[in-house]
Amino acid sequence: MEKFLLRITVNDEYHELYIKPKKLLVEVLRDELGLTGTKRGCNTGACHACTIFLNGKTVKSCSVLAMQADGAEVRTVEGLAEGAELSPIQRSFLDHGAYQCGFCTSGMLLSATALLAENPTPTVEEIKEGLHGNLCRCTGYNSIIRAVKAVAEGKYKGGGNGEI
Amino acid sequence: MAYKCPTCGKVWPDTLDLARHIFGTGDQAHKDWVNSKGYNFIELLLIQTMEPGNKGYKTLADLLEKEAEKVD
Amino acid sequence: MAKFNVINTPIHNVDGIAKVTGRAEYTFDVSLPQMLYGKILRSPHPHAKIIIIDTTRAKALTGVKAVVTGQDTLGVKQGIWRRYKELCDEEILAKEKVRYIGEPVAAVAAVDEDTAEEAMDLIEVEYEPLPAVFEPLEAIKEGAPLLHENAERNINVTRHIEWGDVDEAFKQADYVREDWFRCSSQAHVCMETHCAVSSFSPDGKLTVWTSTQSHYYIKVLLSDVLGLKENDIRVISRYTGGGFGSKFELDSAQFCSAVLSMKLCKPVKIVLTREEEFMATKRRTPMFYYLRSGVKKDGTFLAKECRVFTEGGAYTAMGATALYLTGFFQSFPYVWPSYRYDGYRVYTSTPPTSAMRGFGAPQATFCAEMQIELIAKELGIDRIEIRRKNAMYAGYEVPGQATIQSCGLVECLDRVEEWIKDRGKMPPYSGIGIAAYGFMSGGIFNWFDTPYAFSSAVIQVNIDGKVDLFIGSQDMGQGSNTTMSMICAEELGVRVEDIRLHMGDTDKCPVDLGAWGSRETLMQGNAVKMAAADAKRQILEYAAAKMSPNIVYDMDIKDRWIHLIARPERGLSYFDAVKEAIRGKDGQPIVARGHYTPHRKGMISPAYSFGVQAVEAAVDPETGKVRLKNCVTAHDCGQVINPLGVQGQLEGAIAMAAGYGFTEDLPMDDGKILNPNLVDYKILRTTEMPETTVMEVETYEPEGPFGAKEAGEGLTNPTAGALGNAVFQATGVSIKDLPITSEKVLSAIRAKKTKK
Repeated sequence: MEKFLLRITVNDEYHELYIKPKKLLVEVLRDELGLTGTKRGCNTGACHACTIFLNGKTVKSCSVLAMQADGAEVRTVEGLAEGAELSPIQRSFLDHGAYQCGFCTSGMLLSATALLAENPTPTVEEIKEGLHGNLCRCTGYNSIIRAVKAVAEGKYKGGGNGEI
Repeated sequence: MAYKCPTCGKVWPDTLDLARHIFGTGDQAHKDWVNSKGYNFIELLLIQTMEPGNKGYKTLADLLEKEAEKVD
Repeated sequence: MAKFNVINTPIHNVDGIAKVTGRAEYTFDVSLPQMLYGKILRSPHPHAKIIIIDTTRAKALTGVKAVVTGQDTLGVKQGIWRRYKELCDEEILAKEKVRYIGEPVAAVAAVDEDTAEEAMDLIEVEYEPLPAVFEPLEAIKEGAPLLHENAERNINVTRHIEWGDVDEAFKQADYVREDWFRCSSQAHVCMETHCAVSSFSPDGKLTVWTSTQSHYYIKVLLSDVLGLKENDIRVISRYTGGGFGSKFELDSAQFCSAVLSMKLCKPVKIVLTREEEFMATKRRTPMFYYLRSGVKKDGTFLAKECRVFTEGGAYTAMGATALYLTGFFQSFPYVWPSYRYDGYRVYTSTPPTSAMRGFGAPQATFCAEMQIELIAKELGIDRIEIRRKNAMYAGYEVPGQATIQSCGLVECLDRVEEWIKDRGKMPPYSGIGIAAYGFMSGGIFNWFDTPYAFSSAVIQVNIDGKVDLFIGSQDMGQGSNTTMSMICAEELGVRVEDIRLHMGDTDKCPVDLGAWGSRETLMQGNAVKMAAADAKRQILEYAAAKMSPNIVYDMDIKDRWIHLIARPERGLSYFDAVKEAIRGKDGQPIVARGHYTPHRKGMISPAYSFGVQAVEAAVDPETGKVRLKNCVTAHDCGQVINPLGVQGQLEGAIAMAAGYGFTEDLPMDDGKILNPNLVDYKILRTTEMPETTVMEVETYEPEGPFGAKEAGEGLTNPTAGALGNAVFQATGVSIKDLPITSEKVLSAIRAKKTKK
């Protein structure tokens, strides 16, 4: 099968890869680039564990063909921190214990980052709506909601990768 | 007075305890003993559930009163 | 002054940085050089003979490296109840017969997943379908199809628990009622599906990375089925993406990848799809429950009789334990002077039912609490009062079964009662339901037949004061890594950041039975505390020699400061003492060991947690839809070790147990699960989660480290019952058939209106 050239910038690094056309974006990120922070919890786009930023908007990377991201800018969980400096939402997650097994956490962080970028001061209801697509089996969500609320209330200023 | 299990020899203070041991162990040897006395082990177990009043256990306990060796 | 320096402080989870930066490597992420990908072919029939399996065409496909069937294995029937051979009934790769839709019959290893999938379509299996039976009450009938030759009437196991004279006591009762309940199944829905990477090398050693709750169990079970020595197998599980009871038995990903890798001497990775996860992994045990209770007119409990049939599915798995525990916890958390339980686990041609968080206790608590609510209503007694009147207490002995040493149940009832009073009058079609529970902190049983202590720990203190802590416990999200680090730091007198934790590798860590039955905090925690106490003693030897205080003084270490307890200003730095102690030991680091095995602790557990939960729900009378608004839990886990962890466990338990109560179900049609995906199988999402409040009731449990007991599994017990009681309070209808769906509620409301 013929392979195609994929040009993609992931977490500010430019890559050129030859890939099969039916490869999903999540597969390229995890298998070709070794960025295994983005997870998969299903094959039907139902769990949102694979959420990443594609040109500034959150997408389920299991529902996007890698070639659709040709020329695009992608940010994954590995790109939220700047060196040792974690982003506000990551710091808030640590303080609030907003993760347990951690498998859904990457997708949760990306969705939360997107929510706060669009609406910096969401209400609890708006946070619940914004994270409605992300499934978590461990936490019961409330610690995650508290963590997002704390960022919304300005308790964590700056640090990490503010630019999405 | 206590009762000795006819299959494995374990001793129990009364026939209901011995019945509980026989049902609880449920291995082929214990089942075979019950079945050899004209009862059906599985049927007795099911009677315990389907009918009121501890009937399965009581039936086995009555049998053991007659058949089990009594020890001091 | 705070009682503890580390215990009960809100520290970061020790795995936090790894998890929030995407650095945590799960089995799902493992990739090895020359790794192949495996897929498993599964039976489409619920009960059938395997006549022949032809793998020729599959083997010939380019990119396929091996195809195996049951004929390529030792054909060992394994099971987790290893001590009882008649309960070891599952081959995993079926040889002669399949007994459920989804049972593995063949496995393929290929260069990529797509090729492996294609190969599966080329495997030809000839089956002879046999008559099947899906309901336990059908399976016990005379003439029902027999699933296992040695199980007459398909009866797998039976259990009986009895004390007092139930029949006499019923004669004394002023009020007797009987109720029938049906408790449904439930899927674990771990975010990381079952997966394994097996790598066999020509020196005869097997390494398996797997998502598990017990690397020790998997190592031993693999040894049983592969014919390898236990310690020629290494199991690695640093991070596990959820378990909830589904991952401490040997599974098809582990077994098939190991068999394939042994054939090829190459790594083979198998990851179950979400569909396979639903259809072919084990699930919560469905139960048919009969309860008959007799009480005095003042509400004093006199007699309870309980009979249960459980749907066992095709194999024993952990179903025997669920059968016992449901009967045991049916009497909790009250004093029943006489009690009788008869439980039967029945084989059916459905996916095996096994362990899921709560282990038979959520089912028991649902039935018990719903019935108590009805009894209270009939007798006109306040529902808190009837529970308080009969509540267990510290020192109570469950006859022949258990001694309750610490119990904060009455205070839990008081706290919830206060909250309910503050809530005031409910609007129409809203109600607050309550449920009380008790649960075990680890089991005393050794059906696994291990010769080892149930938990062990090894500590090494290094020259820079850093402490290596080696434990066998598994963190699957419940936070045991953090809990053990905290216990070690508190006992030794250092900080959590001084601890370097080693876990998740059978080559390097001591044995621990794994994260199930809520055993880690109490059992691994006790082992860690013992090791830390020994390390401290060794360091204090040198400190005492150096300081040479009057013999009447004793010494301790707190927050890296070694001191005289009576005169804490007199002391020396922990770091300095460690340097000298190591010099004094001829340059050897300080090494200490600890272990724990429960001896003579009754029939179930060394300790029991307790709690009371209130659920406030609103019911829409037009649709029957239930909306959760508030959930308040007063909770006794002895001494809280990790407060962020406990809160997280409570909230997670509520979400899972509420799902069990009203949204999650596994409907089947002739043994086939109809909703094997995350859209049709509905776990709670953010918008359905109620406000949650935790009220800690502190007690001291002498069996537990620093007085601690379990927190996290017991909390799944009450929610379904509390929810059911909330619906009852809101609408007057009592739904005894889980899950409490809007259809059932609406039907019941309408039926009630018609009756009127």
